[in-house]
Amino acid sequence: MTKSEIFDRVVKILTPYVKNQEALASVSEKTHILDELKVNSARLVDVVLEFEDAFDIEIADEDVDSVETVGNAVELIEAKLG
Amino acid sequence: MALALQRTLALAVSPLTTLAVAGLLRFWLRLRVEDREAARRSWRAIWRAREGPLLVCANHLTMIDSALIAWALAPPLWYVRHFSALPWNVPERTHFASTLTQRVLAYLFKCLPIVRGGSRDEVADTLARFAFLVSRGEAGLIFPEGGRSRTGRVEVENAAWGVGRIVKSLPGCRVLCVYLRGERQHGYSGAPARGDRLFVSLSTLEPKSDHAGLRGSRDVARQIAARLAEMEREHFAKHGLPSAPAEVRI
Repeated sequence: MTKSEIFDRVVKILTPYVKNQEALASVSEKTHILDELKVNSARLVDVVLEFEDAFDIEIADEDVDSVETVGNAVELIEAKLG
Repeated sequence: MALALQRTLALAVSPLTTLAVAGLLRFWLRLRVEDREAARRSWRAIWRAREGPLLVCANHLTMIDSALIAWALAPPLWYVRHFSALPWNVPERTHFASTLTQRVLAYLFKCLPIVRGGSRDEVADTLARFAFLVSRGEAGLIFPEGGRSRTGRVEVENAAWGVGRIVKSLPGCRVLCVYLRGERQHGYSGAPARGDRLFVSLSTLEPKSDHAGLRGSRDVARQIAARLAEMEREHFAKHGLPSAPAEVRI
């Protein structure tokens, strides 16, 4: 799976949780998930669990701490996919 | 080391700080706790009987809930003698530690300020220090919903998974769920209405999950929030809905 494909799937998973639709329209790897997309921090775990299911990977509690931007999520998933 | 120093300094000034808070709640806000002695007896019994880490989890409706809970559960000077029972808190930095005075007060009131939704590393570091304190026999107080409930009701879906992560990291951790609400507390506010009558109920829980990792943390967090929601239903069944809107600015 290419990085671009992972990015597209990550954005698709994030979409229902995004409160700032304007930021979603110009989303990039640098976009901050909580600050810019305004995803509720309590729901971040739901997003990450959807990543697990969608990509068939396991993400540890500690790994979530490194997920701040869309790019961080893409890199984490890419690393888990090997 | 830094936490031990904070605890020592907080203990040194605790006769003054605990009495001051109790005085403000009782004589300035003129609050009363319904059936206070029963609640205090229960808390003392739970505290004495604990065999492992004890985490206090509560519903969250006002900005002074931490103080209200501590005051409702024990007399101020009891905490001086049982200082570990005065819970550590993780308040939102922008509300409670944005000025030097606030930072000093937060420090002396056993607070580890946090920026909710801030840097994940910083949040994780603060929660790890908080969990360390609880693992060492200090009481910790956390609000599973993260912030004050915008609907005025416990929102199970909004339970922050970090609570589950803390509980999972502490073998044998028991959770004391505390539901506290003023008679006139409709929604969220800065403080309870002046002269309000507070109701408090306690329920212990040892959450467990068959799931590992994140799913387990979320499961545990939701079990705690679900217990609080159940306590809320019992509260309304027993005492009815709030009688008038309450909003006090502090």
